[in-house]
Amino acid sequence: MEELIILTDQLDRLYDLITEPADTEKVKSAVQELLNSGEDPDDIIGTINEALDEVGTKYKSGEFFLSDLMMAGSSASEATGLLDLYIEESGRKKKGKVVIGTVEGDIHNIGKDINILMLKSEGFEVVDLGVDIPARDFVENVKKEKPDVLGISALLTSTMTKAEEVINALEEAGLREEVKIIIGGRPVNEKFAEEIDADGYAEDAVDGLKTIKSLTQGGN
Amino acid sequence: MDKRERVLKTLEMEEPDRVPITELEIEVPIMEAITGKEFSARTSLQMPVVSDPEKEKEKVAIKIETYREVGFDMFVVTLSAPEEWELIERSDGTIVGAWGRVFRLDKDRNQWVPYSTVFDSPDDFHDFEFPKPDDRGWTLGTRYAKKLIGEEMAIASFIRDPFAHAWEMFTPSIFVQWLYQDPEFIEKVIEELTEFNIEIIEKLADTGADLIVSGGDFCEEKGPLVPTKYFKQIIFPNLEKQVKAAHENGIRFVKHTDGNVNPLLDDLAEIVDGVHSLDPTAGVDIGEVKEKYGQDLALMGNVSVDNLANNTPEQIEEETKLCIKKGSPGGGHILSSSNSWAAGAKLENCLKMVKTGKKYGKYPIQ
Repeated sequence: MEELIILTDQLDRLYDLITEPADTEKVKSAVQELLNSGEDPDDIIGTINEALDEVGTKYKSGEFFLSDLMMAGSSASEATGLLDLYIEESGRKKKGKVVIGTVEGDIHNIGKDINILMLKSEGFEVVDLGVDIPARDFVENVKKEKPDVLGISALLTSTMTKAEEVINALEEAGLREEVKIIIGGRPVNEKFAEEIDADGYAEDAVDGLKTIKSLTQGGN
Repeated sequence: MDKRERVLKTLEMEEPDRVPITELEIEVPIMEAITGKEFSARTSLQMPVVSDPEKEKEKVAIKIETYREVGFDMFVVTLSAPEEWELIERSDGTIVGAWGRVFRLDKDRNQWVPYSTVFDSPDDFHDFEFPKPDDRGWTLGTRYAKKLIGEEMAIASFIRDPFAHAWEMFTPSIFVQWLYQDPEFIEKVIEELTEFNIEIIEKLADTGADLIVSGGDFCEEKGPLVPTKYFKQIIFPNLEKQVKAAHENGIRFVKHTDGNVNPLLDDLAEIVDGVHSLDPTAGVDIGEVKEKYGQDLALMGNVSVDNLANNTPEQIEEETKLCIKKGSPGGGHILSSSNSWAAGAKLENCLKMVKTGKKYGKYPIQ
């Protein structure tokens, strides 16, 4: 009983560290201590995801700032990385595979990168194509990686139309029906997503995670 | 009333004859469309990259021609590259800027855009050889603009805010890691960049700048980029030092930021003379800002740059009229877009904004 209470305290501490948010090394140490103490990795992952949810909610409400979201996302992703070996050995499946990139002519990456950290923390496999990605590279990677979801990011009004070019190129390659598509970035909205035949949209990283989870039914 | 007088009177929070109009930046393709002239050198909106002084002068000249053609009241000029700095293209096609940022070329716009950084650890910052304010060349653009313009338009010199500079220089993800792990280190970086800016501000004032515009964002769509405690502890004290340097040299100081600046306005109104861009897409209402801070704080903005890209000229006319109605009464308002003439802004919409400003911006405005 005493051991259970200690582990619960340690999980609470991990939760607090992510939601403070504290620096990444402290979070990683807390996860390592929990693993050394024999804590169930599923409970650790659950705690990390709950903490990240809270940070996302506080960011959306204005209580937290972008840097808090970035820091918590980074810590959670690094901490989840410590659990990769367990996930591999236990045969535990990833929740889904996401290929994500910023469209050609646009080099903005903050929202995309935070979204990647949150997806990894949630247990998704993510292939980051980077920024300034031409439509043909999106197509090639959908063909190669066979993702469940393709994320197309665009921050500028002038580049958001490139998302449509990517979707058209996937149509031409006969791959459109093979993958769910989410577009993300400040200028995109539901109307634009519908117009270009995307399956979902997100105005920020927190929405991105929710939409991708819903597109994959919360993971397989 | 001449153009320069119109701007200076506005910054004194008095009513001029008409609302002054300008833009902080115009992308080269738009300048080429307006002037009919080609500019071949590659540029950057983030840092001085034109290392050939003659090309730099050519850039300033085509920009002045654009501002004259459009009828702007204030010319905005960025720092020039120091003479010692050389643009060296690396094998992967990238270049390293004078401040350690790595840029790569956007071929469509012929612009160098930020891509990554040379800084992997705080030690890299100590080892990097930064340019010095005494290096020759920083003020070339301002000096040349003053020579060509004289008193015809007000001249604003554009520098980068130390916080935004560090955020961009290290890249946001590394900056945030270091801010949370070692805020004293980030504070030291910002202090060093502030010392640089103070010396540069003195030089710019000497060369004929009427005001400083400090670029680089404090905010994103939802609010400040970092918790407000860091603004109070680190960012604002260093901003105050730069504003003091400008005032001691007889010139004004305007802070630019995109995003939702509302949570910072109480402090900014105490520190700076004016704020640009009052981003309407991030929920900033120029009328509300005018009502609360309009007695002391000059406002620059805020026709949505997204709307300049997407809306019709008729819609832009209505938006501009509303912007003037809310922001201009009593003076203290410079009409501009909420960022710059870039990012897909349509030329016909940009020109409609100016035309509407000249037609409906005549004082008295109720």
